[in-house]
Amino acid sequence: MTIVLKGRIDSGNAAQVENDILQQLSGTETAPVVLDAAALDYISSAGLRVILRLRKTCQDLRITNVSPEVYEILDMTGFTEMMRVEKAYRVVTIEGCEEIGRGANGKLYRIDRDNVVKVYKNADALEDIRHEREMAKMALILGIPTAISYDVVKVGDSYGSVFELLNARSFAKILAREPEKIDWCVREFVNMLKKIHGTRVPAGKLPDMRETALDWARFVRDWLPEEPGNKLLSLIEAVPPDDHMIHGDYHTKNLELQNDEVLLIDMDTLAAGHPIFELGSMYNSFRGFSELHHEVFEKFQGYPYEVGASFWHKALAAYLGTNCETKIREVEDKARIVGYTRLIRRSIRRFGWEDEARRAEIEHWRRELLELLERTDSLLFSPNELELDAAAENLQELQTFVDERLEAANCPGKARMQIQLAVEEIFINIAHYAYAPEKGKATVRVEISEDPVTVTITFLDHGVPYDPLTREDPDLSLGAEEREVGGLGIFLTRRVMDDVAYEYKNGQNILTLKKKLG
Amino acid sequence: MKITKKQNASSLEIALEGRLDTTTAPELERAMKESLDGVSELTMDFEKLEYISSAGLRVLLSAQKKMSRQGGMKLVHVGEIIMEVFEVTGFTDILTIE
Repeated sequence: MTIVLKGRIDSGNAAQVENDILQQLSGTETAPVVLDAAALDYISSAGLRVILRLRKTCQDLRITNVSPEVYEILDMTGFTEMMRVEKAYRVVTIEGCEEIGRGANGKLYRIDRDNVVKVYKNADALEDIRHEREMAKMALILGIPTAISYDVVKVGDSYGSVFELLNARSFAKILAREPEKIDWCVREFVNMLKKIHGTRVPAGKLPDMRETALDWARFVRDWLPEEPGNKLLSLIEAVPPDDHMIHGDYHTKNLELQNDEVLLIDMDTLAAGHPIFELGSMYNSFRGFSELHHEVFEKFQGYPYEVGASFWHKALAAYLGTNCETKIREVEDKARIVGYTRLIRRSIRRFGWEDEARRAEIEHWRRELLELLERTDSLLFSPNELELDAAAENLQELQTFVDERLEAANCPGKARMQIQLAVEEIFINIAHYAYAPEKGKATVRVEISEDPVTVTITFLDHGVPYDPLTREDPDLSLGAEEREVGGLGIFLTRRVMDDVAYEYKNGQNILTLKKKLG
Repeated sequence: MKITKKQNASSLEIALEGRLDTTTAPELERAMKESLDGVSELTMDFEKLEYISSAGLRVLLSAQKKMSRQGGMKLVHVGEIIMEVFEVTGFTDILTIE
């Protein structure tokens, strides 16, 4: 039941108004009552007492379309805390306005030179708007540059939130118009991503991304054979809870360049969790979602799929601080597991299994997911660790990976060369002997510690137990004719490193090299 | 790694540029196999060699053994970093380094 309040309600007419209302309500006391205050100019304490009395007879009472002036009265007198009071929203039209962004819950339009409005899909979006505002406020306080809405408006049948965004361009638009700026964009994009992932959030303030991903996995498990289905679930279960921030929808339309400042927008998907979940969503934005239909990507981002694929690859390389393809692929594969899981669930839930075009896509993602599940044992990754096939042809990859880390630690040239030498000798040893005549993997970890600056490189393999340090040193006093061709590798390693140690533990050969710098 | 050969009658000069490691040592081995017949004087120019590992040392040792039977081999323009590897492994005593 809606009752319209008009003009002024004060001691002069309060009794009259009360009578009118009671008349309209007779026989409908139990129904929810809405007082529409669109035409109400003023209400005095006599009028407020009418509302108080009304509240006693109908529990479910609210006042809507309240003007700013009346809202102030209701706020001062404590009515806004006592009952539901909804402001009158400014009406904004987006007709002819440019769409400048798009997120999970709505679209962004520029309404004038300085302002944009985010229009929510959901007609009853006030809760979404409040949520996003809370998220944005928290992110801003934690040091993430973002825009916070200052007004809620009515846009057609939906609601929108208004932000000030002066002179801003999304990264998608920059890439569409000036593709030569890709490297600059990648750098800024990754800087922001690292900032997000380096931000700890107070416990319980954000949704736990791991829980969300577990929900996806439980859903998708039913669409997979038993064994890979269970593996998917256990891979996600094995990701530890993490209190670092995740944006949740990180792509080039959600990063804005405002004058010289980079701003993150679309904060409604903010969550806490391990970065692999973010990388999974990012893979989808750049590739997974449009893997079969590249035009979908271009329609969304405004630049070609190939540019997006290249952007993703460059961004992942920069995020991991490596140009080592093995490393990039390793993390990409883990991200794809998360990404496909989400896509499969989303598509089946939204379109069902019957739609043929959608099914082709779901089957493609499912095939990829099954293939990945077969060869992946963990979703965790470390930027300082590289797992690769123990084969001589991978030496170059490994050297690149190790050297990047040494360079980042400002390792002097001579020590760098000596470490490269040791890395080669040990890795080639593993490649030749650990699994022969079969093949297997080796893991190499690079750690830099302080005081004094020390590089520690650890080699792990599951090959036959072998301690290379038991090998006898070559006799250096022999002449060329008597010297054996070989046997120098381990010897050289021991001479150029400060410490070399071996142990066999948990079925692994573990060889540790240490070198002090300076 | 880049291998440049300069032949003058029975003397051969091989200049190396880049890295002599597990990956590139087979290239040098092949180049030697192809060109050492009839050579009595081999000069290895290491001016532009940046790196050497035990795989490279093995090729040098084989070349040294072969050349000591048919003449001689010497290394020129050896840089500090490579020299250190030679010293550590006792190669300074085996090879002729100018």
